[in-house]
Amino acid sequence: MDIISQLQEQVNQIAGLTFNTFGTLQRDAPSARLSQNYPEPPPNPTEDAASFPEQPKQMSAALVKAAKQFDALVAALPLSEGGEEAQLKRIAELQAENDAVGQELQRQLEAAERELKLVQELFGQTTDNCLNLKKPD
Amino acid sequence: MATATFPPPPPFYRLYKDYIENPKSAPEPPPPIEGTYVCFASNYTTDDVLPSLEEQGVRQLYPKGPNVDFKKELRSLNRELQLHILELADVLVERPSQYARRVEDISLIFKNLHHLLNSLRPHQARATLIHILELQIQRRKQAVEDIKRQREEAQKLLKEALGTLAGQ
Repeated sequence: MDIISQLQEQVNQIAGLTFNTFGTLQRDAPSARLSQNYPEPPPNPTEDAASFPEQPKQMSAALVKAAKQFDALVAALPLSEGGEEAQLKRIAELQAENDAVGQELQRQLEAAERELKLVQELFGQTTDNCLNLKKPD
Repeated sequence: MATATFPPPPPFYRLYKDYIENPKSAPEPPPPIEGTYVCFASNYTTDDVLPSLEEQGVRQLYPKGPNVDFKKELRSLNRELQLHILELADVLVERPSQYARRVEDISLIFKNLHHLLNSLRPHQARATLIHILELQIQRRKQAVEDIKRQREEAQKLLKEALGTLAGQ
């Protein structure tokens, strides 16, 4: 995949990690005590409490890793300096060179085809003479 | 009973009744559309250009101007994004009812990020064109060299053959 598509995928991945993080935390968080007037909330079942403190750590580590990956991709962007005008100039130069080389190629091709025809004709005459099928002029 | 939910197709087919005998009796196809046109009550344009953020009603966070330093802006937008995510986490802990503003800020940053990446595409297209032209020039030069070499070899062989024949 080209690097711009990779960057776009990385941005979408960061977005996905963000809302998954907040969604998971909101869904799985144990009840919190809102005010001194209310009694302590009931303790939550043990299976939540066991893995719960690791979840924010893992998810935030994934988020930071994704952000670092994005930075690495941005550093790998092959952006040549000079902007649009420099690129258009280079394209015009390359087109001119391409045309010149194309014409040279065309000339060589035509010369080679002329020589091929000549050789084929001479070869035909030679074989005819060898086989004595045609009277030599 | 089934009722037709869509309107019937336009009745232009009747104009082409005698097309086989006389192709000129039927109307010419319409010319290509230029500019903007309306299709199913929404406006489309034939000019393929990325609409700027203001046209979409989104605030632009990175500086405008002819030459944007893409790498720098992308990196600073990334850092802003991380900061806003942390702010959102804080707001959810302290004042949970005020999440909306923070979520809006985060989605604004994402829209700016994607717009920056989309505006890199024309640059990529031109760079691809440059690469293709360079490859083609290289292939053509190689072909010219090959043809020259083969012609020289053929000339050499002919001279040798001439020498052999003359010696006989």
